[in-house]
Formats: sequence, structure tokens, C-alpha cells
Amino acid sequence: MKRTFAVVTDSTADLPVEWRTRYGIEVVPLKVLFGHDTLRDGVDMTSDEFFTRLAASTSLPTTSAPSPGEFAEVYRRLAQDHDGCISIHIGARLSATAEAARVGAEAVEGFKVNVIDSQTVSMPMAFLCRVAAECGNLDEATAAVEQRVPKCRVLALLDTLRFLEMGGRLSRTQAMIGTMLDLKPLLLVAENAEIKPVDRVRTRSRAIPRMVEFFRSEMPVEAVGVMHAQAPDEAERIAAELRRELPNLEIPVGQIGCVLGTHTGPQALGLVYLKK
Amino acid sequence: MVAALKVTGVDGPLFKRALLGSLTWLSANHEEVNRLNVFPVPDGDTGTNMLLTLQSAVEDVKESNAAEVSKIAKLASHGSLMGARGNSGVILSQIFRGFARAVEGKSSLTPGELAAAFEEAANAAYRAVNKPTEGTILTVAREAGRAASTAASSPDANVPRVIAAAAAGARAAVQKTPSQLQILRDAGVVDAGGFGLQLILEGMLKTVEESDPAFAALADVKKPALTPAAQVSLDLPEGGWGYCTEFLIEGTNLDTERIRGQIESLGNSVLVVGEPELVKVHVHTDDPTSVINLAGGYGKVLKLNVGDMSTQHKRILESEGAAGSNGPRPNGVGIVAVVAGKGLVDIFRGLGVDAIIQGGQTMNPSTQDMLNAIESVPYGEVILLPNNGNVIAAAKQVLGLTKKRVHVVETHSVPQGVSAVVAFRPERPGEENLRAMKAEAERVQTIEVTHAVRDTRSNGVKVKKGDVIGLINDRLEFAGDDYAAVVKQALGKLGPDGYELVTVYRGEQASDAEMTKLESEIRTNYPGLEVEVQQGGQQHYPFILSVE
Repeated sequence: MKRTFAVVTDSTADLPVEWRTRYGIEVVPLKVLFGHDTLRDGVDMTSDEFFTRLAASTSLPTTSAPSPGEFAEVYRRLAQDHDGCISIHIGARLSATAEAARVGAEAVEGFKVNVIDSQTVSMPMAFLCRVAAECGNLDEATAAVEQRVPKCRVLALLDTLRFLEMGGRLSRTQAMIGTMLDLKPLLLVAENAEIKPVDRVRTRSRAIPRMVEFFRSEMPVEAVGVMHAQAPDEAERIAAELRRELPNLEIPVGQIGCVLGTHTGPQALGLVYLKK
Repeated sequence: MVAALKVTGVDGPLFKRALLGSLTWLSANHEEVNRLNVFPVPDGDTGTNMLLTLQSAVEDVKESNAAEVSKIAKLASHGSLMGARGNSGVILSQIFRGFARAVEGKSSLTPGELAAAFEEAANAAYRAVNKPTEGTILTVAREAGRAASTAASSPDANVPRVIAAAAAGARAAVQKTPSQLQILRDAGVVDAGGFGLQLILEGMLKTVEESDPAFAALADVKKPALTPAAQVSLDLPEGGWGYCTEFLIEGTNLDTERIRGQIESLGNSVLVVGEPELVKVHVHTDDPTSVINLAGGYGKVLKLNVGDMSTQHKRILESEGAAGSNGPRPNGVGIVAVVAGKGLVDIFRGLGVDAIIQGGQTMNPSTQDMLNAIESVPYGEVILLPNNGNVIAAAKQVLGLTKKRVHVVETHSVPQGVSAVVAFRPERPGEENLRAMKAEAERVQTIEVTHAVRDTRSNGVKVKKGDVIGLINDRLEFAGDDYAAVVKQALGKLGPDGYELVTVYRGEQASDAEMTKLESEIRTNYPGLEVEVQQGGQQHYPFILSVE
């Protein structure tokens, strides 16, 4: 039976590429600005290309949300063969994207768009999209997603706090790192996109087990994935370990996209999950 | 020999004079004690520490005209406890404490009672130390007590003879310390703390004999240039800065609990400690007059000191990166650390330490300094990080002196202290934090690079004065003439494969060229190690390295 409603998200969902076709999910890109160059996240630039350019760049890039017009365009196209749409976006505390989607949706008359502020970022949004895609109708999908929004978690291990700090999303003090020492912060993006410090560790090799240990204390989970920025081997090792413990879950490994990568910096690792 | 003063028993005034004599004699000779430091690094200044402790003991005594020896002994005990600095200072305070216990209730001591008090003083010192080491001040105290007892049992015993025997016993024991401790033998010195105790007993003897013209000439001896008083920087809650008010109450049957209860309603950071005859009060209040009036109802107010805290407040506000000021902690646990060096102070503050006690290797803070810092933080439970082996004993003395729950995480070095505080989690209960902090502190390896202050031999390494020396976890391992070469050897000994990160805390004395050379030496020889350089600003140690 063909699904009658569309599922839309944005590029910060770090949606595994094959899920687009597997679940029929539309992705609207945010943008990265290197000086005067504006590049669409995941469209004009891949994650690998982004980090290569980031390393060579003398100044940090900035990021911007899609415009309402861009959302309107997508919704208009989807209106042709769907009777409604659920549009799941990065937490409104972190980005103007959900607001742009709401304004864009109002411009498309006669097409119902339920815009969801996911209160999170990265692959938990993709998990929400999957939940929606597996529902029979828009109301059911909206209810199922809204019920899970407070359960989304991103546990992020940053190699440096520099990028997050420069992007203005978190101060050193908030991250329990009011010091010149180069500490590895372990942060949790919890309900309402609130960023909480979980731990701070001096070296990476000790930080990774701490991250996994904290994740275990958060179980049971409905879904979990591993994210990385230019650290595929470590991400795969973590995923392999978790797959042994949680054989019934898929546990995808994903790359952190350009927009999110602007704030995490390279070598970031993340465990992303939906709590049960 | 000039006839000894007619002394029949040791009463309050005599014991007071004897203590003042000890102070004079130790003042005149404390540099000599300092020079005996066996460890070939600028160590804890044993002589200065003992002198400061004794000064604090005598300071309270000076103000009293008590006729009973028990009262003077109690004041000395209490004063030394409050001013105890360094290991030898803490042991000295325990010696006074044991003496005071032994003479409790007595107005005057017979020669036999005096000897018994000396013995009890030594016993108390032994009990206070976890692992008593022979060949130290402990042995000297015990031998002094034994010699005093032998003299007291003789038929013609008198007070001067008992004191003379104690001093002679101490001197003989000090001479024997190198045969008991390898480290002294290697260095060719006697034990510094033991020698300090010998001087204290000799000072007493000179007082009761009143016969030594050389000693009389020293009576007006100049006070030594003291290390700057340890400064405590505080992060007090907003409002209620007011005045730091400190004084003593002298009276009878003083009830510290009751006084504390009343003063607590007038201010914060309240500290009321002492004995029924003398109570020390410390409070931060907006209304010092009411506090003093209240205290006046209990007895005589002495040594009143009221300080406006706004200057200090301003200084704290100007200091940056105070991560501790991030609202109250969910676990209600504060952290206090002993640190010296501007860069290191900033690092510890930035990691969330609530109060810093300035001090370390050459400036051991007193128990009182640490107590003040602990009372100043707005938490009922406090973790104290001594960050130096010589500060640990004084830190542990704090435990019985405050109503707060205090835990000492025994950090022996700056790297251990950093690791411990990094492991602190504001949402985790105190006990769990303690476990984690202790485990992290033990995981890190410390390399310290400095210059030898004397020719010596330690741990099989022969060093000449001025040599660059490298210590791994407080043990002398390498000597040479170049920082980089010594660090390279030390890292080689630790085995770089087992480690990931080297943090270099650069000291005040290290030049840019020396820093660059050291850094490139590590990177070239140990490419697998990440190197991070921090400005520590510490004195005496051009480089401290944390290896983890």
C-alpha cells in the first residue's frame, strides 16, 4: 500500500543515504558558508570534502538554515502526489530551520504540513523519520514522532571544544572546561536541545570507553547509531561492540554532515539514540 | 658554671619563658635546619616550617598570664595546631598536644611529671603518624623523653637537670639519625626535623639555666624574613562580603558549639575552634560590632582583626575563567586546592576549584590556611587537594577541626592534582567522586625537572649542586646539565609506548629557547606522544610534566 503522506527532514539529520530510498524521505539541505562561497550541505559538498576544506581554511565557516521559500518549493512538489507531510527538523534552539519550514508550509495552500521541532540534531532525527515512514497515516505518524521527541539523545565526544565555542553554541564554562587545558568534553544533547556536560577526559583513548559506559547507563534504547567526523575506524569499532550487545538493532554508522561538522570539528564521535 | 636559677617545679610562667627561649633559639638557627634538607631539591624548608609553627604556638602563650602550666601547655598546643606547617610542623604540633594532655589539670610539674610529659609528647607524635619512620623527629622526641625519665629517676633530680637530659638525649639521637635512614647517610646530613626539636629543647634549657651570655645576646633576635602569608582566594556567594573578623576569646568554660551557633546567625564562613579557656573565632560578617559585643559577653576579646574584604573581592572578580562560579553544585561538594604559580592557579580555577591556597614545595601552607579556605567555600562537604607530598600531613590535620565533611585526596604533585580535579563531576555524590579522583590521580605519572641545591647522592644517583635533576614520581632518577636530555631519559624510563599525552607545565625560570628545545626533543624522540605545553608559572621547577 502506498503511503499517502510525505516525510521530510533536513541535512542535519545525517540520514543514512540508503534510507532516502528505503523509507522515501526527502532531505532539505542547510548551508555552509566559506567566505563568499555558499554550499548546500550534502549536495554541493560531501562531509569528506568539507573537512578537507575546513583543515585548509584560515577562518571558520558559518552555517545558515534553508529559506522558507526553499521549503515551500519542496512542499509544493510533494503536494502533487501526497495529501500531507510530516517535516522533522533540527531543534529550534539550535537553528532557525524549523521556523523556516513552518513559514514555508504556510505559503503552500491546501497541503497539510506537520512541522516537528525534534529538539535534537543528527541521526535521532533520522530515527524519527523512520518511525514516521512506518506509520499508516499522517496523524498516526505525528503522534508517534511527538511521543519520541523527548527520548532523543546525542552523546558527543568532541576532540576539541573550539568549534562549538566559536559557533556560540556552548561556552567553555558550560562544558565544565573553563581552562586552557585541552580536555575532551563528553556532551549530551538531551530534551529541548539542552547541551549538558557529562564528562571531561584528558585523552581520547580513555574518553571513548567513558562514552560507551555512559550510553550503557542510558539503556534500554529503541534505536542507536554511531556518528563520526573523519574517524570511521573508531566509529566502526564502537558499532561492532554495540552490535554484539544489542543484536536486534541495526546500529548504523554515519558521517557528521557539513553543517553539524562546523560545530563539532573533526574527529568528533557520537552515540545517538532514542531512549525507550 | 653560673649557678642555675632556683627552680623547683615547672609552673605556667616558667613554661611560658621556656617556650619563648625555644623560639629565640630556633629563630637564630632555623636557617641551619633548612640547610639540612636531605632531598636535593628546594624542599619544604623544615626550619622555617618549624619556626612558623612554634611562633604560632607562642603567639597565644605570650598573651596569657596563667599561673598553671596546664593552661600554657594547652595554649601552645592549640596555637601550634592552628599554625602547623609542613610535616615537621604538624608533628611538632602533636608533640605539644601530647605534652598538654599529660599535664592536664596540673598547676606545676615535678621533675618526674615533666619527664613523663616529654615521654607522652613523643607517644602522641608517634600515634599521629601513619607510618612512623625511625631516624626522624619522632625518634628524637622519644630519645629525649627517655633521657628525661632516666634523669628524673635519679635521687638528686631537678627540673633543669631533666631538661638538660632531654636536650642531651635529643642531640645524641640527632647524631644517630644517619645510621637509621639511608637517605640521610647518602646525603651526609642529620635529620632536619630532629635537629629542630633539639634546638627547641636547648632553647628551654638555656632559659632555665639563664647562664649563657651568648644566648642572652640573642634575646632580641630579629625575626626571620617569613614567606608571604599564604593567600586564600575565595569564591564566596554574591552579597554578604562584609568584613573578615577574627579574634580570640579568653574565658572560662567556653562552649564552642554555643558560640558558633550564635555567631552563625551574624555571618557566614564561621569558624569557632578551641578549648574551654581560649576560643578562636573567624567569621565573615556585615556587622563586626555585633559579633564583638557578643564575644565580649563570654570573656576577654584578644587579637581582634577586622579586614574589609572588598579588595579581595575585586581581585577575584577580575580573575578570569572561574568555572566554579557556575551556580551551586548539585552534589553540594566544593573543591579546595593548594597551588602556586599564576598559570597553574588559573588552570585549577578553570577546572572548577572553589578556593586556592597559595603554596607548595617551598611554601607549605599551614593547617589554618587550609581550614580558612575550606570554611570559605559555600559547601558543607569539601575535597582538599594538597598537590605536594609535604603538604599532605598538614592537610589531614584539618579533618578534625571543622564541622564540614572534608576529604583529602592525597595528590603528591601538580599533575596528580589536575587529573584528580578533571575527574570531578558536579552531579556525582562525594564518595563516588573521591574514588574516581583517587583512581585518576594514581594513573598519571609525574616528571619534575629542577636543579640540585646541594651535592648529594640519592637513589643511587650522584649529583652536584646546580645539576639539572629529573624526578619521576618524587624519586630522583636522572642528573645532567640539560633539561631536554634529562626529560628524554625520564620519558624513556617510563616507556613512552604505554602513554598517549605529555603535558608540559612550564615554570617561571624556563626560557623560550629551553622550552622549544624540550618540546622538539620529545616530539623527535617520541613521535607517538602528543605534547601539550601550558604556562604553569611555578617557581623552582623549570618543567613539570604530566605523562598519561
